Amino acid sequence: MQLKNFNSISKITAIAIVASNALYAENYVAVEFLQYDENNNRVSVSAPSLSASYDIGTDYTIKADFVHDAVSGATPSWQPDSSSGASSRDNSGDYIYEKQTFDEARNAGSIMLTTRFENRDELYTGIDYSRESDFDSKAVSAEYMHYTDKSHNQSINFGVSYGMNEILSYDYDTGSGASQKETSTSINIQAGISQIINNHSLLKVEGFTILDDGYLTNPHANIVRDYGTATQNLITENRPDKRTAYGVNLKYISMFGDNLSFKTNYRFYTDDWDVTSHTLDNDIYYSLNKKITLGAGFRIYTQSEANFYNKKKDFFTDEKFASSDERLSQFDALTYKASIDFKQNDSISYNLGGEFYSQSTGLDATMFTAGMKYRF
Amino acid sequence: MRKYLLMTMSFSLFMGCSLIEEVKPWEKETLAKPTMQFAGLHPEVNKFESHIYYSKEASKGGSGVAGGGCGCN
Repeated sequence: MQLKNFNSISKITAIAIVASNALYAENYVAVEFLQYDENNNRVSVSAPSLSASYDIGTDYTIKADFVHDAVSGATPSWQPDSSSGASSRDNSGDYIYEKQTFDEARNAGSIMLTTRFENRDELYTGIDYSRESDFDSKAVSAEYMHYTDKSHNQSINFGVSYGMNEILSYDYDTGSGASQKETSTSINIQAGISQIINNHSLLKVEGFTILDDGYLTNPHANIVRDYGTATQNLITENRPDKRTAYGVNLKYISMFGDNLSFKTNYRFYTDDWDVTSHTLDNDIYYSLNKKITLGAGFRIYTQSEANFYNKKKDFFTDEKFASSDERLSQFDALTYKASIDFKQNDSISYNLGGEFYSQSTGLDATMFTAGMKYRF
Repeated sequence: MRKYLLMTMSFSLFMGCSLIEEVKPWEKETLAKPTMQFAGLHPEVNKFESHIYYSKEASKGGSGVAGGGCGCN
């Protein structure tokens, strides 16, 4: 009888930690490797990552992660067409929308501290850092989660982050190639409510706004101006220096029987560049036994084009804002996902995953992940 | 596609909101399973996914306030 009570109390303690939207508390070290490859020899990314989480008593958890991205390949943009005799960005020849090659490496890391108060409310504070040869980003964030009832079935959360970016732009337009440091900031505010529906399903609704300010142009993307005239030339795109976005995120998870769980996530996004998007992301997990869990999922995405986007060579004349970056175009995208998780014992587990991503722009990509987690 | 998205969302919301029950702490064993976490079974993989979508699509946000910028977009 005493043993039974002890087990129940342990179970309650463990469950209380993960109830509602609280983090799944455990000490671990995890390594994960990503290989991402696009079709037509476009971008390839190899990214090993390391993450660790450690509980300090029952009131604090510290989590840190680090990732190194090695990116290589090519991305399409307007360039001088060498077959027409053009060798520069002026009006000496024609232009072509084709891949321009690049190599880049990125190192990024983050540290997050979770603080739990007497009423088990939680405060998450974090710092993020990311560095590339031509881009630096630093961000600080804080989020508070408050339980609104005694049983911890409902919670509300409010979070805010502030990011500062430094971008190195190059003066390709005059041909000098001189570099100049540009800056931008990003404020992300998010508030939501989590509700346990019953003993096998959860719902979370969040609203968010993102305020970007500063240099938001892609310094490597080009547009053609005044095509077909004596003054035609190739210049760096120019995006507005402010962007305000709003969105709503709905998440729902339910367990069917003892082994099958279903997770769905819908996001609505809109901004003042006229980009509006809908994202529906679904995952199912099926536990074959205590050691093996299979996962499958699909994601549907659709977005409208930015009001300053056009891919045509003969479109832009004197517009203040102009971009031919396909990522700002109207397109749909589908992702198919599959994964397998193998739990060797209570301490060690392995995971393998594969995804296929396809955009209506013609971009296809595969993503493979492999990882190992050690719990202690 | 938007019609399909709205129908699926409405169905999910209907399933979730039709009945909210009082759940006691000792009844939360299923909710404590790793596959029942909003962050997913592997948050590290989700981070990779989010980064790829951020670099290939024009919209962002909704997955928490933590996280830094990237020159990929």
